[in-house]
Amino acid sequence: MTGPLERVLTAFLADASAPRYGYDLMKAARLQSGTLYPLLARLEREELVASAWETPQQEGERPRKYYRLTAEGVRVARLELAQVSARSRRAPARPGRPAPGSLG
Amino acid sequence: MRGERWLLRAGEYLVGQACERLPRDVREERYREWAAELPVILHDPQVRFAPWRAARMLGYAADTLRGAARTPGRTQGATILSRPALLFLAIFLTGFVALNIWLIALAPGDGRHYLDLVSGLLFVALCIGSLAHASERMTTRLAFGTGLAFEAGAVWQVVLFPGNWVNYFWAAVLGFTLLAALRVRWFRRLLGPSGGHSARQDSDH
Repeated sequence: MTGPLERVLTAFLADASAPRYGYDLMKAARLQSGTLYPLLARLEREELVASAWETPQQEGERPRKYYRLTAEGVRVARLELAQVSARSRRAPARPGRPAPGSLG
Repeated sequence: MRGERWLLRAGEYLVGQACERLPRDVREERYREWAAELPVILHDPQVRFAPWRAARMLGYAADTLRGAARTPGRTQGATILSRPALLFLAIFLTGFVALNIWLIALAPGDGRHYLDLVSGLLFVALCIGSLAHASERMTTRLAFGTGLAFEAGAVWQVVLFPGNWVNYFWAAVLGFTLLAALRVRWFRRLLGPSGGHSARQDSDH
């Protein structure tokens, strides 16, 4: 799984039932629009994410499109993130430089 | 915010350009979606400084060009100039940028040259973006444009002062660096996965 995808799924899972707008996701996942939207389009094609148009609250306001994880999307996202987390725990810690004075 | 209408217009123009590159069936919807985010970014209460909000909004709009270029089934969009004309323009503008770097070195106090340099760099970046179908980040295009301009400046120095070996050295170093950067990107594209990675594929394995 790529870093951007991991960040988007994490942002969605922070509140899986909440609708998320593109700009909110950009901020939460720290991604640029040019990275986020192709990713969202792909997740939508794979039916892991569903989108809908909101009804504007005020006169003259433009309707915004929001995204939500589908039930399958929640399942896949949790599985994926758990696998990533397990992989990172299994990975051996990189040997670092000893702290000054720790060698006696 | 002062000039808000113009900023939104500029943002909408960039989004419109990006949508021109998208397949016809999704174009309209994408435009509505992306354009609706522009005023929200411009009024984001979490970002304190208005100029920063404006820059973010324009950055968002400009980056949709990159996103559109990465969309499957995209079109190349309506280009005003043919590829040879764009290439010629890019070379000409690179020379213009190099000239301005030289002029700034001669007279660092003259603000006009800085303005010309920045505008020249932006136009070089746009030309490179059009030639590369805008799939590169704006920062990459700017960095490449700057590198090209410095290379042109170094070659110009060689022409002016052929006896000075230092000029040859810098021209060679810059040239090789640019070539190496291009080669690295080309190899990465050749070897790397195209279009990212599927979450579902991951979970199925």
